[in-house]
Amino acid sequence: MKSPIQFTDLARDAVLRFADMGGESEPAVRIQVASPSPLDPRYEITLIDDDEKREEDLVFGQEGFDIVVDPESAKLLNGASVDWVEGLQESGFKVENPNLAPIGSKPLEGPLADRVQQVIEQYVNPGVAQHGGNVTLVEVRDDIVYLQMGGGCQGCGMASVTLSQGIERILKEQVPEIVGIEDVTNHSAGDNPYFTSEK
Amino acid sequence: MPRVLLLFARTSYRAEAFLEAARRLGVDVTVGSNHRQALADLAPGATLTLGIKDVARSSATIVRFAADYPLAAIVAAEDDFTPLAATASEALGLTHHPSQAVRCARNKALMRERLSAAGFSSPWFRTAQLEDDPVAVASRIEFPCVLKPLALSASRGVIRADTLEQFVPAWNRIRAILEEKDVVGRIGRLATEILIEAYLPGRELAVEGIVSAGELLTLAVLDKPDPMEGPFFEETILLTPSSFPEPFQEDITSLVSECAAHLGLSDGPIHAELRVHDDRISLLEIAPRSIGGRCSAILRFEPDASLEELILRHALGMPLHGFLREPGAAGVMMLPIPAAGILREVGGLEAALEVPDIDGLEITIPLGHTVIPLPEGNRYLGFLFARAKTPDQVETALRAAHSRIEVRIEEA
Repeated sequence: MKSPIQFTDLARDAVLRFADMGGESEPAVRIQVASPSPLDPRYEITLIDDDEKREEDLVFGQEGFDIVVDPESAKLLNGASVDWVEGLQESGFKVENPNLAPIGSKPLEGPLADRVQQVIEQYVNPGVAQHGGNVTLVEVRDDIVYLQMGGGCQGCGMASVTLSQGIERILKEQVPEIVGIEDVTNHSAGDNPYFTSEK
Repeated sequence: MPRVLLLFARTSYRAEAFLEAARRLGVDVTVGSNHRQALADLAPGATLTLGIKDVARSSATIVRFAADYPLAAIVAAEDDFTPLAATASEALGLTHHPSQAVRCARNKALMRERLSAAGFSSPWFRTAQLEDDPVAVASRIEFPCVLKPLALSASRGVIRADTLEQFVPAWNRIRAILEEKDVVGRIGRLATEILIEAYLPGRELAVEGIVSAGELLTLAVLDKPDPMEGPFFEETILLTPSSFPEPFQEDITSLVSECAAHLGLSDGPIHAELRVHDDRISLLEIAPRSIGGRCSAILRFEPDASLEELILRHALGMPLHGFLREPGAAGVMMLPIPAAGILREVGGLEAALEVPDIDGLEITIPLGHTVIPLPEGNRYLGFLFARAKTPDQVETALRAAHSRIEVRIEEA
């Protein structure tokens, strides 16, 4: 059966190198979607022994090794490719998966995104600007709006209140198709929050 | 859909956890806070601006609000708003600790007086006015003693003094805290007195619970493994389950239950602090609120509920029975602030997160901000969380992870 997951030459070499170090003559690699969240999709890639294969697993022959995938992960990995990247700080496998493209990786376009953007510009940003804050639309996917907060909103102790009691309400009122709002802000990196928490 | 009014001080650590709990329970929310929210005009009924000090006035505002937006419950996330939550709940006939009981528990001297008069084991204590002469006050007490504000939390302004030479500087430091504009704004006339009481040696622990129709549901007994001997009483690690033997834990929770009942705390969360010395249990404080900071994150209940969800369930009259703390041990370290100055760098966070059993890490003071250690400090540097099979493993993980965190503070 043709593998729905492609390994680049570098990734294949890395697998075979690790297998060789472990003395594996017929190596198998399990790929698992550890977290399917588009906010932070995570994968686990591990060399496994034969007795670690499970009955329900799908096994695909690859040049030099088997790829083992559980059925749930297989649904999410069709068309994915695995590469090996070398960096100064760390090296490792990198998965490109069109099914779980991280939020913000797709272009911001379409009528829904336009309407959301308009609400943010017309209502939200003038309001949060009073607290030195700003809100940026990152993506609209599956009718969920992904937002990033900046300035006084980033790291603010009341950011969750602004989101749920202000932004979410006005967005759902103005764009009723919206089913959810997700905050993708790294609040711990905020250096000038409007409210900081105290005992 | 029932509506709950959640009261957060503008400096709350708890907003996100309570909002998430409300979302999971499917209740509508109004947030009341002592600062106008940025988008207040966009969503009528979603937020309410309320003063902390003038409880009667803010309670009247809530009652007027409830005429347009009927409320099923009012819950205060932390100390500051508990008197208002109690008063407004009384006015609207909602489930809550009575306002009289909340006022009593909020005032550490009054609480001590009530419990002592009822025969509960209690250290000697007395109060003094801020303008009193500390030397004269010290001449009328015994050492070692502990000086503390009547209404601040998390050990802020709590100082041990073993001699007159230690007493006077301790007094002056507390007076400076109580004269801060922000503190006066929060605790009002309670900022005019200092409580002085006997220092009690022994191990310290905390009890978290919800009182429902006068019955205490104990949610956790938490050990504090670091010695709390002063001169300051910085809380660092909290671990649950407690290592005290089960029958002794029952004695502890019985005492908490009796004290809560005596103070009249009948419906709502409580957080009690106790000391154990030679098998003698003494209640230090009992607050009409849940655990502070982000510490509640270690308390998870099966089937799948947070502490905040249980608090809201109780306030809304939903059943609480059947919820049990998740098996295993959990703990939190409130990261201590090692020195005063400007926070320039917090390193080693990834290394800390890699320690086995570490479950999470949050730094809650932004870089570039002023940090102040206890007893004056009023912010936590951050929180480190761990889960494992045993409390010992949790404690080991917390200490190992903490040792990997490097904090650089520049002298201001």
